[in-house]
Amino acid sequence: MAEDVKPTRKNLMAIEDRIELSERGHDTLEQKRDGLIMEFMDILDQAQDIREDLDANYETAQRKINMARAMEGDVAVRGAAAALKEHPEITTQSKNIMGVVVPQIESSRVRKSLDQRGYGLLGSSARIDEAADAYEELLESIILAAEVETAMKKMLTEIETTKRRVNALEFKLLPDLHENKEYIEQKLEEQEREEIFRLKKIKAKKEEEESEAAATEAESELEVVEVGD
Amino acid sequence: MSTSPGSSNPEYVTTRVRSRRSVLFNDEDYRKLIRMGPAEIARFMEESEYEREINALGARHSGVDLIEYALNRNLAKHFNDLLDWADGRLYDLIARYLRKFDAWNVKTVLRGIYSEADSADVETDLIRAGEMDDRLLDRLLDAGSIEEVIDLLDRTTFADPLRAALEEYEETGVLVPLENAVDRVFYEQLLSDLPGGEANQTYREFLEAEIDFRNARNALRLARSGADIDPSEYYIEGGQLFGASQLSAIGGNVEELVAVIRDSTYGDDLDSALDEFEAADSLISFERALDVALLEYSDRLGFIHPLSVAPIVSYILAKEREVDNIRAIARGREAGLSEEEIEEELVIL
Repeated sequence: MAEDVKPTRKNLMAIEDRIELSERGHDTLEQKRDGLIMEFMDILDQAQDIREDLDANYETAQRKINMARAMEGDVAVRGAAAALKEHPEITTQSKNIMGVVVPQIESSRVRKSLDQRGYGLLGSSARIDEAADAYEELLESIILAAEVETAMKKMLTEIETTKRRVNALEFKLLPDLHENKEYIEQKLEEQEREEIFRLKKIKAKKEEEESEAAATEAESELEVVEVGD
Repeated sequence: MSTSPGSSNPEYVTTRVRSRRSVLFNDEDYRKLIRMGPAEIARFMEESEYEREINALGARHSGVDLIEYALNRNLAKHFNDLLDWADGRLYDLIARYLRKFDAWNVKTVLRGIYSEADSADVETDLIRAGEMDDRLLDRLLDAGSIEEVIDLLDRTTFADPLRAALEEYEETGVLVPLENAVDRVFYEQLLSDLPGGEANQTYREFLEAEIDFRNARNALRLARSGADIDPSEYYIEGGQLFGASQLSAIGGNVEELVAVIRDSTYGDDLDSALDEFEAADSLISFERALDVALLEYSDRLGFIHPLSVAPIVSYILAKEREVDNIRAIARGREAGLSEEEIEEELVIL
């Protein structure tokens, strides 16, 4: 790569500017990467807790619906489910964590009171209530897990990208720039040396010519004197 | 039990019921079933009382669905037989109890229309064990709107209350007012115009117990849910346990409700279930205790008045319990519940 660069002073200055910029960028990206990792570790702890809750809530909900299906019958459970019209809604917004845009999920109408579930109270049982309760809780956990795990995945992608950028700067771009800088400096020094040598040569030649001319002049003066005698 | 001799035939019906009762599954059968998988249960049923239903539905359904639909169809057949055998006043006494299946079917049809379900799917969920005939049920299935269903029910007790609840349904957009209207009609007609006589008095006590238990479980469900609903809105008249005003005054106070039940005539039967409810904050065991208490009560009445509607109602409850137990075993096995867990859920006397 170094051979592709023209060894000029202008290029050297441009490369020095780029090195300075890249080093500054490298430091900033390193800080960003470390910050992201710290944020990620916080979210990871949160995500682990939420995932545990989600697993537990799923087990409970499955158990309760199985019990309801067993004791009340599949038909009764399906009937109670069919009576529901007000379905839960979610709205997503976004927030920024160190430059990473992560979703913020707001849910509404997940938790319902007995009279909002659509099925009649007089003809149903506590098993159906408990299964509905458990599923509402599960749905809340799923929404929370979706928010945190999406944030986690986005953070992870951003950490990877930042890491790649830091590595690219550290192991590729900066070494290349330094190599180019060195190459240009060497070339310029070499050119300087050549120039000095050339100047010295010229000077020596000039001096030689001058001394030759002086000798010739002295000789001709001597001849004139001899003829005059 | 007949108040007008010649128009009622409790001797005939109770005799036939006794023979039907003798073929209900016993403890030994349940013990065998608990150890079987769904396919084995279906095979076991094929060699029992449920043979015809299993064979008829075997081509359309499989697994636990086959078992559940066969159970429902068998239940319907047996209860239709009761109505076919009974005459006069006895017919009325049995029919008023079996109207809970009419209420179930009306609610199922309403839910089907509400959720825009396919009428074939709704049809499989019907339990044709009530008083409504197949023609009316088929016309209900073909109905395209809730108003049409109400019009078709014009000659039944459900039409007027449904019409009254229609406005609230249209305002709120949820089925609750319609479903509650249907259930309320069922419970309220249980005691309306009940004839006198000693045997009928015990039947009245049984029906009052049923209403009391329904009120108790609903009041506790509402109190436990913490919803801002006046429990008297869901109160069914006719019971002895609470009054509507008393329920309103208690509101959502679970402790007070439990205290009232403990102090009532049902206190002794439900004491341990109430302890369990307070400890676990789950109504399930309490509801099971109510089922057991009602079943025992109906059995007791059947022994006291062997030639009345009591043994017939006792059989109805026992048959329903058998259906519930077999379904619980099959669904429980399908869901991977252990034998102990299933056994705990069964109600066996």
